[in-house]
Amino acid sequence: MADQARPDDRWRHVRVLFLAFLGLWLLFTLFPLYFMIITALKTTAETNLTVPTFWPELFAFGNFAAVFAEATNFDALIDSFVIATINTLLSLFLGTLAGYAFARFPRQAGGENLAFWILSNRMFPPVAILVPMFFLFDSTPWGTDSIWSLIILYLVFNLPLATWLMMVFFRDAPRELEEAAYLDGWTPLRAFLRITLPLVLPGMISVAMLCWIFAWNEYLFANLFVGTDVRTYTIVIPTFTHGSQTLWNLQMAFSLIAMIPPVTLFILLRRYMVRGLSLGVVKG
Amino acid sequence: MRQAIVRGDPSTYPDWFDGKRRQRPLIVARWVPIAMVGLPVAVLFAIVVYPTIWMFYHSLRDTNITGLFTGNHAYIGFANYGTVFSSDRFQDSLVHLLQYLSFGAVLQVILGCVLALTLYEVVKSNLWRTIILILLVLPMMLPPSIVGVLWRFLLTPSNGAVNQALLDLGLIASHIEWFNAGVSLWSIIIADVWNWTALPLLIIYSGRVSLPPAVYEAARVDGASQWKVVRRITLPMLKEVIAIAFILRFTDAFKFVDLVYVMTSGGPAQTSELPTYIAFQRGIREFAIGEAAAYAIIIFAISAILVTLFLQYMKRVMRAQGLA
Repeated sequence: MADQARPDDRWRHVRVLFLAFLGLWLLFTLFPLYFMIITALKTTAETNLTVPTFWPELFAFGNFAAVFAEATNFDALIDSFVIATINTLLSLFLGTLAGYAFARFPRQAGGENLAFWILSNRMFPPVAILVPMFFLFDSTPWGTDSIWSLIILYLVFNLPLATWLMMVFFRDAPRELEEAAYLDGWTPLRAFLRITLPLVLPGMISVAMLCWIFAWNEYLFANLFVGTDVRTYTIVIPTFTHGSQTLWNLQMAFSLIAMIPPVTLFILLRRYMVRGLSLGVVKG
Repeated sequence: MRQAIVRGDPSTYPDWFDGKRRQRPLIVARWVPIAMVGLPVAVLFAIVVYPTIWMFYHSLRDTNITGLFTGNHAYIGFANYGTVFSSDRFQDSLVHLLQYLSFGAVLQVILGCVLALTLYEVVKSNLWRTIILILLVLPMMLPPSIVGVLWRFLLTPSNGAVNQALLDLGLIASHIEWFNAGVSLWSIIIADVWNWTALPLLIIYSGRVSLPPAVYEAARVDGASQWKVVRRITLPMLKEVIAIAFILRFTDAFKFVDLVYVMTSGGPAQTSELPTYIAFQRGIREFAIGEAAAYAIIIFAISAILVTLFLQYMKRVMRAQGLA
């Protein structure tokens, strides 16, 4: 017994070290968020002090109202919301169809290689598609500066994700139930809608949320394609200035407001998120 | 009662015998699966394959912005590629990319792995684990523009929070100029590590949670120390999960460019430019379409090789799990 106690003792020291590292990392993770929150509550004068304060001298809760005093900020959130939602619905619709085909009729649908090809589209740098798509949208009557250019472009990363994940979820759903329904004389469409779809609904919701967050948070395409008629909140945030002065407090307040949807979705759906984020390999 | 098995008749072999599932009769018309898959494939052809071909075409021509609209551009062979490869801007950006990938992707996976296993092995209460996990993952839910703006704010040299905190703690004697040449890329990397270490952490943590407890019971009965268990059982069993986390992080890091835009715009004096950033700048801001196309095709070719290797590996992992 004494022999066994020794390695445990040694482990105890290592344990403390690792725990300290975890604590430090937690501090590193939370400090920027903490500073973001207190900055959102500071007055503009206080954000420009030569020595920054780590606790607001004066709480300016009016910052959150001031963000929305400018109509363009609210419009930006609306634009982001509309783009993310339509793109999610589109990705989910196309992805569910293709995912079902890959899961149930793999050979007729083009097989594993086609599924992997679809997934690979998500992994390529968007650099090769951006310039041509810019000139393509530019030549259309509504130009690059419309919600449709972003809705279509976000399919580049969301459609492969939705297709791939729906395929994984449909594979998990037992096929036998559908086959029993066929024996009862149900049509394939009815069996799909009434039996399989309800089975994969939790997966589908997590895919929708994941796609929505990716579209909501997207910056690069939005930065290069829109900016005048349509402005997503992601491209509005870096432009919070008043003359030559950056309004850090309003910027942080607006950021906090814009963070609420993805953070809430993540906390609610974290168990499903892992499956989605790891492309179905890790079961959360 | 035992069922008599007629040997030699393949139809009586059980499903697992030849490893392949028997082909089931198709219940729908032949065109249905083709149409179901065809829609997304058509969309991806329009928004990914066609643009890539367009880029390849223009990478071989001396296209600039006016030439593009008037159709006035000529075939110049691989001259654009020559320009790119011989330019200092590209060679420097490759060094930056290497620096970013080793600290942006490799370090994140190592840190994520250490943190995930620490969280699982050292923190024993389930509630605390969940709370810490959620807190650690919060940065990942932020869009790159907020991350960029936030870190630019925190790292402001004159009155930024990070400099002040380091001064207060006595770790530095004078302000660090975070956005000077040579330092700005490190600032981007710090912001990126803050933003994305949670992804490998989350994946590896979930992988650890779903490992079968029976193995650990056995190890405990045998009296193995916790350290040995982690090294000899947990890490080998998590090999695939860690590899997948690395693949996901690496492919993301390879296309990474957002924070460069928000935090430094590649500066000062192009010292924090990555190849993808230059491709965008040349194409959209500086309108050298032909050269931008050459950049894009070079990046595309490299990532095509990497992605193929990665997916090959993923296919193997998924097969082993019975997923594919």
